[in-house]
Amino acid sequence: MRKLSKSFSYKAISEALWQSNPVSKQILGICSSLAVTVQLKTALVMGLALTFVTAFSNLTISLLRNQIPRNVRIIAEVAIIAVLVIIADEFLRAFMYDISKQLSVFVGLIITNCIVMGRAEAFAMGNPPWRSFVDGAANGIGYASILGGVAFFRELLGAGKLFGFQVVPKGFYAAGYENMGLMLLAPGAFIAIALFVWLEHTLLKDK
Amino acid sequence: MSNAMKSIVFSVILCVVCSLLLTAANTGLKPFQQKNIEVDRQKNILKAFGIIAEGQAISNAEVTRLFESSVRSLWVDDSGRILKENERAPGDLPLYLYVKDDTVKAYVVPIDTRGLWGQIRGYLAIANDGTTIVGFTVFQHQETPGLGGEIESRWFCKNFEGKKILDASGRFVSIHIAKGSAADAMPPEKRINYVDGISGATMTGKFLSEGLKKILAAYEPVAIQFRQKHQPTIQAN
Repeated sequence: MRKLSKSFSYKAISEALWQSNPVSKQILGICSSLAVTVQLKTALVMGLALTFVTAFSNLTISLLRNQIPRNVRIIAEVAIIAVLVIIADEFLRAFMYDISKQLSVFVGLIITNCIVMGRAEAFAMGNPPWRSFVDGAANGIGYASILGGVAFFRELLGAGKLFGFQVVPKGFYAAGYENMGLMLLAPGAFIAIALFVWLEHTLLKDK
Repeated sequence: MSNAMKSIVFSVILCVVCSLLLTAANTGLKPFQQKNIEVDRQKNILKAFGIIAEGQAISNAEVTRLFESSVRSLWVDDSGRILKENERAPGDLPLYLYVKDDTVKAYVVPIDTRGLWGQIRGYLAIANDGTTIVGFTVFQHQETPGLGGEIESRWFCKNFEGKKILDASGRFVSIHIAKGSAADAMPPEKRINYVDGISGATMTGKFLSEGLKKILAAYEPVAIQFRQKHQPTIQAN
């Protein structure tokens, strides 16, 4: 157990999940977190797609880091990321058509997600492949965790459902309970994300 | 090799490798994607006819089987005449028939019209009296989620069932989306031509009403044939 908690992978993942979470701590990737968190299912698929892209772009860039000429490195990074994003998008369209329809343009916009570019530039350019891969995956998981959390509350409060299944009993509606329409709109996501940011900052400050 | 030269060579190699990967992914997955799009289209037509229910879990193979066994697709020209495959011209209208026990039960008109933020695409099914709406589905839109986006929700689509595109005197008036509840907003004699609107989405309703009117007007020659009990001969292909 001690060995596990000291391993690089463990540290990278726990850092990305908590102390330096890309969304709630570094405030990156906010645009897509607002757009795809109306339902848990889309949020998690989006998280998965981003994890795939960050992990493999980090891996590829790290493998090529000694070959990439410094003056074209940003272009090279973007090209690699773009290829991975398009591949992810094509796969979703081929095998998860309904979800890809809901995610629409946001899978494509992973290319401009600051998390991916940030990890490539800040980590993969200076670290060996395996570590870069783990770092990318960890940041993807950190992003997915916040998306999942936000989507959980938005879907539960906004539609009374989780993963598309009704969880708020019919009796509640009969008794006068109403879904919170605000949660389905972008402002609802802002509020939910802000609450996550607040929670994390407050808890970290106490330490 | 100079630095500039090295950058250029590297970029060229990177570009070639990237394009090869993209081409491979695109061509390799294309058959799956086209299958999905086709099944999605069939599923929406079946939903408009009420053959399958909204939210019903159904396999792709089952959708295709149902579609092939009960739906005929054909093209008509602007006077409502059925066209053979080799007579098709631009401006002709697609039409889908629901055939059961050798009679046409209903027909579907594809809807493709402007919404508030983008195109709204769906299907409107009308019974074989050429007057009564039996179903409505939306499969593509860009309206505001939670407001205009409600046009794809079950309650809104269900709203259309049983409404008519003719008024009491038999004149074509199309179907309209009321501002708020149709029962509150409209006098009783007009309610049959109005469906409940979505609060907070007046503009979406307005655009959809206009679009439906235009499309249904174009399909009037077909509807008139149905009203005269003169069912078009089915020419499946």
